[in-house]
Amino acid sequence: MFVLLHRLQRLRRDLGLPAPARTGSLALRHVDAGSCNGCEHELTATASPVYDLQRFGLNVVASPRHADVLLVTGAVTARMAEPLLAAYEAMPEPRLVAALGDCALGCGVLADPGELAAPLEEIVTVDLRIPGCPPTPAQIADALTGALDLLRPRASRPRRRRQ
Amino acid sequence: MRMNVLPVPAARWRAACEDAAAEGARLRCLYAVEGERGPELRALLGLADEERLLTASLAGAPVDSVLEVFPAADWDEREAHDLYGVRFAGRDPLRALVAHPPQPERWMTPVHGHGTHQVAVGPIHAGVIESGHFRFHVVGERILRLDLRLFYKHRGLQRAAEGRALEDGLAFAQRACAACAVATSVAYVQAAEAVLGLVPNAALRRARTLLCELERLYNHLNDLSAICAGIGFAPGAMAFAALKERAQRLNARLSGHRFLFDTVAIAASPPQLDERPSPADRDEVRALRAAAAAGWRELLFAASVQDRLGGVGVLTADDAVALGAVGPVARAAGVRRDARADGDPRLWYGGLQPAQPVTASGDVAARAEMRAVELEQTCDILEDLLARPPERPDTRPAGRPQPIGIGRVESPRGETVCVIEATGGTLRRLHLRTGSYANWPVLAHVVPGNLLPDFPLINKSFELCYACADR
Repeated sequence: MFVLLHRLQRLRRDLGLPAPARTGSLALRHVDAGSCNGCEHELTATASPVYDLQRFGLNVVASPRHADVLLVTGAVTARMAEPLLAAYEAMPEPRLVAALGDCALGCGVLADPGELAAPLEEIVTVDLRIPGCPPTPAQIADALTGALDLLRPRASRPRRRRQ
Repeated sequence: MRMNVLPVPAARWRAACEDAAAEGARLRCLYAVEGERGPELRALLGLADEERLLTASLAGAPVDSVLEVFPAADWDEREAHDLYGVRFAGRDPLRALVAHPPQPERWMTPVHGHGTHQVAVGPIHAGVIESGHFRFHVVGERILRLDLRLFYKHRGLQRAAEGRALEDGLAFAQRACAACAVATSVAYVQAAEAVLGLVPNAALRRARTLLCELERLYNHLNDLSAICAGIGFAPGAMAFAALKERAQRLNARLSGHRFLFDTVAIAASPPQLDERPSPADRDEVRALRAAAAAGWRELLFAASVQDRLGGVGVLTADDAVALGAVGPVARAAGVRRDARADGDPRLWYGGLQPAQPVTASGDVAARAEMRAVELEQTCDILEDLLARPPERPDTRPAGRPQPIGIGRVESPRGETVCVIEATGGTLRRLHLRTGSYANWPVLAHVVPGNLLPDFPLINKSFELCYACADR
């Protein structure tokens, strides 16, 4: 184990990741609304030593009740619309919704339209757009660190439900 | 491999399957098609020297279930019922799989007894994980039964691809799953080329084999990282996550995409791969092999890791064969089954022998070891292929176009089968049965008897995709 730790230490030194320029933190909750697993792989990679998103105060939390940001991947399937909305409703305000990847943004979605609920933006208000198929970990890291400031000067966002 | 389409009357469906089973056939997939007079049923059976496709027109009548002949057909039959309305005699109750009825008794096994209770997990999980629901029936911490309720991510990809040109259908197969994108794409183009009556030349076979192995490289590194994460062993999880990142960067350098998207096409190969891979790419494969081997050695000497792996989530060889387990899961149980080894000549795996662990104990330890052993094999193949001078990939006509084509590729998770039915260059039916699809029911079979806190670990040792099962 100590050999592994030593190697990781050396990797961190070699990478020379810059110190965070911003301060603050965001708790992230991820919901896969019908993705191809690509965005999940890349989102997981942002926690690897090579990107280490946690040094910016960005953490994935287990419950939407503890989250500031809802990270949604995939086109919203008919069966995931309800769990997605339940997760959104469980979040405390103020809260942000990030559409992660082209499918969540409604670009070039491959699916039988009958199996999809509605585009994400018609279900909840999207505050942050992270395009890409899938977006690289570096792009995800950039977008999320850019969102650190979004929740600061606070006025509660109105809830919006599907019509 | 000879392809033999064998129409049988619906009344002889089960008998025809029994005959094939007596000849040693293995079920590759079973699926339904929308026919002119109601649903039709197909079963693709792999024999020693023949791929036999049984077809039956049902004309709205129930057909005998073949679950007892091929236990691996469990999910296939339930899917054919839910999506195409095929009724199976001899399966009562036929629990819902793709359909999501609200009544628990229509999809869950009844479990009664003193002190039994249920634990519901998902569809949204605590980590960054795909969506799917697990219902555990437990006594204390001991799992009695696991009911899987997947297909939350069912996007109807197969049906959406119907009616499109053969080359347009490829995107639907590829986007079924990012982590198996190459394997499903290659299976698709193999099937499409069989329909068109084309065979790839040696250069094209090598280019596709290179892509398949690049995919296996980053996936196996990912799986080792995930197994460490399943125990909560952060040093291992992080070390292998860093190696996976390097493998994905190698993908991006060689093909232009971290997941090798859009690198496979019918009768063509990616332009990037026609250029000379640099010696630096081969050196990177060598360095990754050394780093992965060193990381694996550290796991072997980490007592807190080893304590958790042995004897957990055991799959016996007999069950693996009966349930049709594929990929590293089957090989870890001692079933030497690998689509790369059993002779499909459309890729470049001449003489490959399925890897095996030191002791094929079928537990989490053996499945973890499979990844480490197969990484060596994959690096061997990659180094060899990257050392070859560039050639012109091509296909040549071979025989007449066929109405039905099949493709079979060993994905990182096991054998992926693709069947295409087409008329005049237009897709009539696309059916994908991925390694994950084959192994999900095996996972549900393995889990009972284990402790609930060990489930994440067992699950990670299978490391199945939800996306390519749900499609």
